[in-house]
Amino acid sequence: MIRNYIKTAWRSLLKNKGFTVINILGLTVGLSAVLIIALWVQNQFRQDNFYSNQENIYKVLNRYIVDMSTGQSTPYPAADALTENHPEVEYAARVYRHWERLLTFKSDGIKAYGNEVDPDFLKIFDFPAIKGMREDALSNKTNIVVTEGLAKSLFGDEDPLGKTITLDNEKSYTVVSVLNDLPTYTDFSFNYLIPMDRDPSNWNTMSYSTYVSLRPGVDIEVFNEKIEPMVRTHAPDLKNNVNFLYPLSRIHLYSKFENGVAVGGKISQVRLIAGIGLLILCIACINFVNLSTAKGQKRAKEVGVRKVIGASKGNLVGQFLTESVIISVVAGILAIVASFLALPLFNQMLDKPLSFVTTGPLVWLILLGFVIFTGLLAGVYPAFVLSAFQPIKTLKNIKVSKKSNFSMRSVLVVLQFGSAVVLIIATLIIHLQIQYASDRDVGYDTSQLLEVALEGKAVENYETIKNELLNSGFVTHITRTGQTITQNNSSSWGNFSWQGATPEQSKKTTFFLTNAQSDFIETVGLKLVDGRDLDYPRLPSDNRAILLNEAAIKTMGLENPIGQLFNWGDEVYTIVGVFSDFVSGSPYSEVEPMLVFSWIDNLKNMIIRTDNQQAMNKTLAFIESTVKKFDPAYPFNYRFVDERYAEKFKNQQQTASLSLTFSLLAIFISCLGLFGLISYITETRIKEIGIRKVLGASVSGIASMLSIDFVKLVFVAIIIATPIAWWAMNKWLADFAYRIDIQWWMFVLAGLLAIGIALFTVSWQAIRAAVANPVDSLRDE
Amino acid sequence: MIKITNLQKYYRTEEVETVALNNLTIHVKEGEFVAVMGPSGCGKSTLLNIVGLLDDLDEGSYLFNNIEVAKFNERKRSDLRKHNIGFVFQSFNLIDELTVFENVELPLVYTNVPAAERKRRVEEVLEKVQIMHRRNHFPQQLSGGQQQRVAVARAVVNTPKLILADEPTGNLDSNNGNEVMHLLTELNEAGTTIVMVTHSEHDARFADRVIRMLDGQVIMETTTF
Repeated sequence: MIRNYIKTAWRSLLKNKGFTVINILGLTVGLSAVLIIALWVQNQFRQDNFYSNQENIYKVLNRYIVDMSTGQSTPYPAADALTENHPEVEYAARVYRHWERLLTFKSDGIKAYGNEVDPDFLKIFDFPAIKGMREDALSNKTNIVVTEGLAKSLFGDEDPLGKTITLDNEKSYTVVSVLNDLPTYTDFSFNYLIPMDRDPSNWNTMSYSTYVSLRPGVDIEVFNEKIEPMVRTHAPDLKNNVNFLYPLSRIHLYSKFENGVAVGGKISQVRLIAGIGLLILCIACINFVNLSTAKGQKRAKEVGVRKVIGASKGNLVGQFLTESVIISVVAGILAIVASFLALPLFNQMLDKPLSFVTTGPLVWLILLGFVIFTGLLAGVYPAFVLSAFQPIKTLKNIKVSKKSNFSMRSVLVVLQFGSAVVLIIATLIIHLQIQYASDRDVGYDTSQLLEVALEGKAVENYETIKNELLNSGFVTHITRTGQTITQNNSSSWGNFSWQGATPEQSKKTTFFLTNAQSDFIETVGLKLVDGRDLDYPRLPSDNRAILLNEAAIKTMGLENPIGQLFNWGDEVYTIVGVFSDFVSGSPYSEVEPMLVFSWIDNLKNMIIRTDNQQAMNKTLAFIESTVKKFDPAYPFNYRFVDERYAEKFKNQQQTASLSLTFSLLAIFISCLGLFGLISYITETRIKEIGIRKVLGASVSGIASMLSIDFVKLVFVAIIIATPIAWWAMNKWLADFAYRIDIQWWMFVLAGLLAIGIALFTVSWQAIRAAVANPVDSLRDE
Repeated sequence: MIKITNLQKYYRTEEVETVALNNLTIHVKEGEFVAVMGPSGCGKSTLLNIVGLLDDLDEGSYLFNNIEVAKFNERKRSDLRKHNIGFVFQSFNLIDELTVFENVELPLVYTNVPAAERKRRVEEVLEKVQIMHRRNHFPQQLSGGQQQRVAVARAVVNTPKLILADEPTGNLDSNNGNEVMHLLTELNEAGTTIVMVTHSEHDARFADRVIRMLDGQVIMETTTF
């Protein structure tokens, strides 16, 4: 029987080529989207969820009772305190992330990120080693563990074991182990590991991540009660601190906390994208249902004959389901090919490069499940509709599908276009919001501005470098800061005071902190609102001077800020200048209060405004040669500020390109379906069209008669989609302080677009049917 | 074999109710060849559909081999149909996607006959209707007469006790029509009961008995030999 089903299904699919192609194309696109999304979702769920001792690995977190925030950093001694005082802890390891460091082997140097870790790190996390020792690799303070990739770039094809690497031209390490390159599904990112070697006494600085593995069978809730006061008993300053262990496997997806309770995080993006994938698959399934029932009239005779000669309803349902499963299997195979081809494109959009090679059998099982499920889902409604035809009517050529105004088919078309319209509106609003934020006045001229990293000896020789560059004519202004001006990496609150500050203000006001030397305002190109720029070391007293931005002055409520004192704990500073606000944090947030100190330590970021009359390549070459005179060992490391600023939009750009891609796919599949539907409908109404033409109907009259039904459906879809899109996009926009308002014309535009696309799709077939010679359609009566 | 008594059949649309068959009584004995004649719309096709259990009746009784089938549900009717009744239509109603062989085989597939047995029986019946040489062709590749012979083969492959033919020669020229009529006669001589609706007096002469209908009622019965 099943052979008979397959044979008949296959021939019927070959016979109705248009129908088959439209269905397979639609389902292929839908399944490809699902496959790629499944790959991404799996990658997200696998994130740090693959170690052999997984269920016992935790990260030490802390929450602050005052503002209910939850942090992931811990003080240095916490790890030792955990192992010494709690027998439940099997291993504990600190991780300190290095910024880029210079690694040199013989005379070749490269910069790489690495971690400083406790020896037990490799006992907790079983990253596989390809060479050398593994678990005890970090027991010696001069050992270094490198990844395969780093080993290749440092040593080429030579055996890395036993080689000596120098870190930042200071300390030497011996390679004792080579690890596999890290998989994409871990939040760790290091190219090398060296043993932890830092000041052990400080309970007050939270700079370390601490991971523990507990012994099997420990009740985590009971244990968390025990360690709750750990930090605050040692550090009286942190009296509001509460500690707890959180499963490592949940950090990636569920790391948004409210009062120490996980309330989501990345998981919401995962759910959103998975939802969109399913939506696209549904749109593709709807095509199948609509086209199958639409062409039911054509197959009615076959159903009748089969029933007359003995087919039961079950036989027919089986036959039609076989047909839809064959379509979805073919689509599934094509989807695998299509996803392979499309994957590089998606990898550009997503932050994690995905690969089919490293994926386990799960993704393939999911695909297989979806293929069969889709086949059944898409086939089941048509199968029951078609198999319910009464043979006597079908054999007499009585119309079996009644033409009603409110059919299942209309509902499905509305559903399909409604989804497409929601996606169009979402895409439009996301793009407008990003455009709005990127058009925002940054507050300074980002062009012609460079940031150059100062390393090694160059730090000490900054003044010489500065003078040489200024005298060269390539450069108009120079300053140096503790960090890039395109980011807010440091902030503090709770310990500031100034004249007239209420206790509430002192406690709650958050300041972004940075430090700079002289010429900060002028080089960056900010407006000096009041006072003067920093001028250290020319004015030695300026080591106690600070600059504030306008937002700070406003928040603090200062009337005449210049000369006023500003306290941070016991330290007293004088306000010497006020500069105009500029965007350093999120381009979607209001500008926050900002403080610029003139501490001279750690001023490793040189900011250079270049002369726009000079060619940039010559300017860069000159700067490089000047800096390299003082630190030849370091690679010349520079960034353009405008490029760096543009990176702020990367995350939302990713959401935008994803929504654009998925909207286009959804519209494409919907149009395929509409095209198929109008083709069948003009076919079944061909006689009516012929009669109308004989009676004098015009081509345009007939074309619009055929199109208007669909336009009506799309119109209903727009009406339904509008409030849904409005609600969803309002929710999305609520995350941005600096945002656009949703306007009525956005919905009108999306609606017109949808109607335009629908009209374009149906009109071609409608016009073709309308210009056909009526004699042809009436003759075969 | 067929005992239909006081049969009433109505067709209803939203506003009108039309009487299709009115208080009709018909008996057909096993082995008989009966022709039903009458003008278009007199209800002869409706009668044939009811006899073939494709349509249900509104009032009256229908005994098929002494079993009351008037109240049978769809599944029981389908069961009875596939084991006892073969159909031949004016427009052949072959399935375009299946070859001659597969079309004829289909009733055996639906009655779960094993493959080897199916092959034997299909070949046997194709030989009988002399279409064996076209077994792997599709219906569109055959002439009308050949198609109707395939349809007859399909109707008899399950060795039904009853064959219902609805204007079997209506779409054929006289040569092909005669061939089909001879085929039916042969089947009848071999013991199969046949009820045939026809417009053609010529075809009706092949039958043992002619029932003439008008406006849903039997107006005359004649025996032809």
